[in-house]
Amino acid sequence: MDALDTLIQPHRVHRSLYTDPDIFVTEMEKVFGGAWVYLAHESQLPEPNDFITARIGLRPLILTRDDDGGLHGLFNRCAHRASTVCQSECGSARRFQCSYHGWTYSNRGELVNVPFAEGYPPDFDLSDHGLAQVPRLGTYRGLIFGTLNVDAPSLADWLGPAGPLIDEFVDRSPSGRIEVRNCQRMVYRGNWKLAWDNAGDGLHPTFAHRSFVILNERQHGGARSLSQFKASPDDTGMYGADLGNGHMFVDQRPGLNQSFWETQRPVPGREWYAEQIEQACGDGAADVLEVAPGSMINLSIFPNLLIKGNHFETVDPVSVAETRLHTWMVAAEGAPDEVNVLRMRIAEDFPSLGNPDDLELFERCQEGLAIAEVEWVDMSKGLGHEAEEVSADGVVRAPVTYEGPMRGYLRAWLDLMSSDVKLTTAAAGEVTCEVAA
Amino acid sequence: MDAPAASVLDDRLYQRLVELAAPDGAERGPGRPDLRPAVEQALHHEARLLDERLYRAWLDRFTQDCVYWIPLDPAGDPRTRVSYLLDDRRRMEDRIGLLETGWAHAQEPPSRTCRIVSNVEAWPLGDGDTLARCSTVVWEYRKDRLTPFASRNDYVLATLGENWSVRFKIVRLVDSRSDVRKFSFVL
Repeated sequence: MDALDTLIQPHRVHRSLYTDPDIFVTEMEKVFGGAWVYLAHESQLPEPNDFITARIGLRPLILTRDDDGGLHGLFNRCAHRASTVCQSECGSARRFQCSYHGWTYSNRGELVNVPFAEGYPPDFDLSDHGLAQVPRLGTYRGLIFGTLNVDAPSLADWLGPAGPLIDEFVDRSPSGRIEVRNCQRMVYRGNWKLAWDNAGDGLHPTFAHRSFVILNERQHGGARSLSQFKASPDDTGMYGADLGNGHMFVDQRPGLNQSFWETQRPVPGREWYAEQIEQACGDGAADVLEVAPGSMINLSIFPNLLIKGNHFETVDPVSVAETRLHTWMVAAEGAPDEVNVLRMRIAEDFPSLGNPDDLELFERCQEGLAIAEVEWVDMSKGLGHEAEEVSADGVVRAPVTYEGPMRGYLRAWLDLMSSDVKLTTAAAGEVTCEVAA
Repeated sequence: MDAPAASVLDDRLYQRLVELAAPDGAERGPGRPDLRPAVEQALHHEARLLDERLYRAWLDRFTQDCVYWIPLDPAGDPRTRVSYLLDDRRRMEDRIGLLETGWAHAQEPPSRTCRIVSNVEAWPLGDGDTLARCSTVVWEYRKDRLTPFASRNDYVLATLGENWSVRFKIVRLVDSRSDVRKFSFVL
């Protein structure tokens, strides 16, 4: 592995970031262990003793809520011989028993029973053998994050200007709360950062999603989903932003000259459900319907959460050239049921009609990156261009087709990769959980 | 092109779908052997239309109030859960229209498929419709890879015989809980 800082230059990035297994191993440790990683949403484990499994990089994890409501990030690894102790995606449990030799843990991670206890050394103490835990957890508007980095900034500082943008997404719900429901799982043969590059990329829709843009124009006419990318997207006021710490933002809202609902592609049930809402809400119906379509923002929380449309997408690396993308349905709490029925169909719409083209292109990139002699990936668009604006909080905004957000997240990547970040685990009782908002 | 017909999907249609789909594999006893030849005629013809990518001819076999649904396991109530897709006729037309733009990169080159339809059973539903269940494996070949998509499918057929037609098609992928390869052809 070459010195990392030679691999990222102002205008380009070396192919080995996408192809080198050693870099992948290091980033699973340092980037995913050192950043605040999104784990789940509180609505997925609402009751005492609920749990849901997640991962931090390649580390399997059980996120639990104890009977007092406290959150714990337990590594899914028996302290004895390393077997995972939980096989379910989610559920409710006070205890986790390892199937291999019967060691049993509480949902706070304490070792509560070892079968045939005689024969262990005289100084063997159950309290020394609990499940290892994520030392720091934090929540922001119900989103739960964790880090192994005891020196990481507070979650609020880590999110920085991304925090108020999470607020904008969540506050579309009438109650100011969201509910994360089931997820659609897809896998592609490519490096995880190909999805990350794409998330901050306002240049690709015109070309990568040409089929979607043409379809909507032919079948439905007028300004419909993504039509703002049909030609000259930079003339629309849409912009991309580097929010710092690797977070990225694409704001498509300035590209709309009608309401979200009017520009939303017609989805199954649109007419009947809209009519129910119009009958129930009268003059207020337009505002209620406006909650159904996507948010028209793409907010990427480094390194693994993409908030887009009206759903969450988590980026879950498997190996240097294989990545899982999980699309989580998000319901707007407090909205009429009819709105959430429409949100379900809308959350399937672009993921099934548009995302396959993205995934195809990620795989084509990974194919092209196999050529060792062609070393560089260009990310220069917008570099040094005077159209870039820097606001007081350090946010760099530029026209939507510029590649500044990608250059920004790679700086954060490099900081974590080249730092002597101190990663630790904690024992039961040593864990902190901060509430950032 | 004519403006697409408005969606007829309403709460009543959803309810019928939920009752049909849940609980998964409700025991109905053995299928009616006398229905099987006509049901197989329809399902085998459908498989061939899809394998030959005759999508417009395929779509013509669906009723105006049809639903084409690929749920995530467990299927549950699609009003409160997301699916891979739940299409009415309009969105089925969109899906085919997308391929017809010539710019659907995920189908360049296009998938070649071979689907095996087996274990066909059929029951009358009492209102003139016929429920059919079968096991299907779609083998997809694309870019040097052969990928199987195994599913248990439910159909509600509105008509049998020469003019067979489909009211509901439900594709239950056996691995919808895990990470599936993207698919951009019709399952």
